[in-house]
Amino acid sequence: MIKAEPKTILNFLSNYFEVLKDIFDVQKESGQIRKEKLNEIFKDRDENVLQQLLDYKILKKLGDDFEFRDTYFKLFEFILNEFRPLLPETIQKYERSIGVLFKKIRDGINGDKLILGQRILDLHGEIKEFSEAVEKNTIRLLAETRELKSNVDKLDYMEKVRKASFWIDYYITPLNNILDINHAESITNKLFEISNYVNIRRLNFDDELIRLQFEKLYVFLVQSNDDLLRQSKLLTNELLPLIERIRTESVILTGFIEFLKAPHKAKVPKVFKVERQYPYSNDMYLNAREFVQQFLQDETIFLEDPNALSDKWVFNKDLYKEKLMQQLPLDSFFDWAGLTLRGEYQTIETDKLFALTALLFEDGISIEVDLKQERSLIRTSQMNLRVPKIKINRYGIS
Amino acid sequence: MEFPRYHKEIVSDLMGGKFILASDQKFISLKDNAAFYEKFFKESFGYELELKSDYGFILSYETGEQLSRDICLFFAILCYELDKDGKNFLEEIQYAEFEHEKVDDYFENSAYADLINNNNQLKSGESRRDFIRTLARRNIVERNGDQKFFFTPAYKVFIDFAADFAKDRLQNSEPALEEEY
Repeated sequence: MIKAEPKTILNFLSNYFEVLKDIFDVQKESGQIRKEKLNEIFKDRDENVLQQLLDYKILKKLGDDFEFRDTYFKLFEFILNEFRPLLPETIQKYERSIGVLFKKIRDGINGDKLILGQRILDLHGEIKEFSEAVEKNTIRLLAETRELKSNVDKLDYMEKVRKASFWIDYYITPLNNILDINHAESITNKLFEISNYVNIRRLNFDDELIRLQFEKLYVFLVQSNDDLLRQSKLLTNELLPLIERIRTESVILTGFIEFLKAPHKAKVPKVFKVERQYPYSNDMYLNAREFVQQFLQDETIFLEDPNALSDKWVFNKDLYKEKLMQQLPLDSFFDWAGLTLRGEYQTIETDKLFALTALLFEDGISIEVDLKQERSLIRTSQMNLRVPKIKINRYGIS
Repeated sequence: MEFPRYHKEIVSDLMGGKFILASDQKFISLKDNAAFYEKFFKESFGYELELKSDYGFILSYETGEQLSRDICLFFAILCYELDKDGKNFLEEIQYAEFEHEKVDDYFENSAYADLINNNNQLKSGESRRDFIRTLARRNIVERNGDQKFFFTPAYKVFIDFAADFAKDRLQNSEPALEEEY
C-alpha cells in the first residue's frame, strides 16, 4: 500500500526533484545507493526525505543500502534522457520472445480466439519494448560518442581509442546487426515478416474483434519499422562513421605522440634516396678524383726560355789557345785566365774558368808549378778559388 | 623492344624520388605495366617498386632516413596542433589547403618547440618553406603559389606509419586488447 495520494507523490517528485536527481545519478553510476552516500546528499541539500521516499515506494531498502524502484528509475531515465545502454545481447532476447509469440499466433490462428487476442496484445507489447530499447540505446550511444568527440573527460588518445573500440565492438556493431534489414537473422527482418502476415490477417480474418486487433498491430508495426529504419540509418550514417573517425584519428595521434617522445629512435618509413647512377663502376668517381687531385698541387713551374739555348756559352779552345800562345811566357796561368775572361765578359764565371784550364793540357807549352809558393785568390761570380801559380813557357818548335 | 607509354618520364620521376600519383596520366601506364616495372627496377638497380591504389614510388636498400624523419616530425606536429585547434586533422590533411602563415602559427606556438628548434628543416618559417619545396619536388605536397599548399595522397605513407606505430604501442601496453585496428 502506498501511503499517499498520487498527486501528493507527483508534487513530492516536483518539490524534491534536485535531491532525487542526485540520488538517481548515484544509482546510475554505481548500481546502488549506499546509506552514507544518501546521507551525504541529504546533508548537502539540507533536506532529509528518506521517510517519504520509502513511504511513497520510490526507494527500496536493500539491507543498509537503497535502490530506486524500477518504475521510478525508468521515469527518471526517460525525463532526463539519460539511458543506460543495454547490451545488444539483452536486446537480442526480444528476437526470441517476438519469434515465439508470432509462431504461436500463426499456428493457433484457427484456435481459441481469446488466447489469440492475448497473444496479439503481448506481441504488440514485446515489439514496443524492443523498439524503445533500441531507441534508448541509440540516444545513449550518440551521447557517448559526442562526449568522446569533445573529450570532456580529457582522456588521452590511447584511452580514447580503447573507449571508441569498446563502444564499436560491444554496442554499435552488434546493434547494427540486429537492425540490419539485409541481415536474414535480424529482428527487423523478422518484424517485416510479421508485418506481411498481419497485413493479410487484418483484411481477411473472420472475427471482427481479432481483425481490429490485427489492424492495430499492423499500424503499430508500420510505425515501428519506420522508427527502426531511422535508428538503423542513424547508426550507419552518423554514429558509426563518427566513432570510427574518432578511433582512427586517435590511433594516428597516439602514434605521432609516441613518435614525438623519441623521434630519433623510431624506425621511420622508407623514402627513396636520390643518387646519381653511373653506367660504369661505382668507384670510378673516386678513382678519377684521386687522379685529378695529383695535378691540383700548387707548385711553381719554371719554363726555360728557348732563346737561352742559343746563348749558351761554348768553349772555343782554338781561339783561347791562340790568345794564350801570344802571351807566352806567363808567370801565372790563372791570372791570365781571370784577366782574359774579365776583359771579355766583365765577370769571371767558374765554369768558364774551368773550361780554360783545358788549355794546360795542350801541346806546345811547358808547365812549371812551385807547390811551396803561396796560392793566389780568384773571385768568380759564384765562389772564391785559391789557385796555385802555374808558369807557362813555349815548348818545342812551334 | 617496345617500352610502355611515358616510360622515360616514369623512370626519371621515380629515380628522382618522386611519388607518381593516380591523378597523373603516367600512373595508368605504371599500374598497367606494374609487373614490368617491378622487374625493371629490381633487375636494373635492385630497387623495389611500391604500388598502392593511388600512388607509386620506389625504394632502395639505402634510404633517405633523415628526410623521412623530418617528414614524420612535420606531420606529427601539424596533426597534433590541428587536433588541439579542434580540427578534424585527418580531413584537413586530406582536403584542406594550408597557408604557410597558419602553419607558422602552429609551429611557433607548439608545445614541441624543442624538437622544432633542433631541426634544421623545421626551425624557421623560411626553412619550412624550403622544406615544403622539397616535399613538392617529391609530389608529397602540391604548391599553390608561394603561400599555399595541400597534401597529395602520398601523405598516407606517413599517416599509416603513425597508425602502425600506435598499434605496436597499444598492443604492447595492453595485451588483452586483441582487436585489429
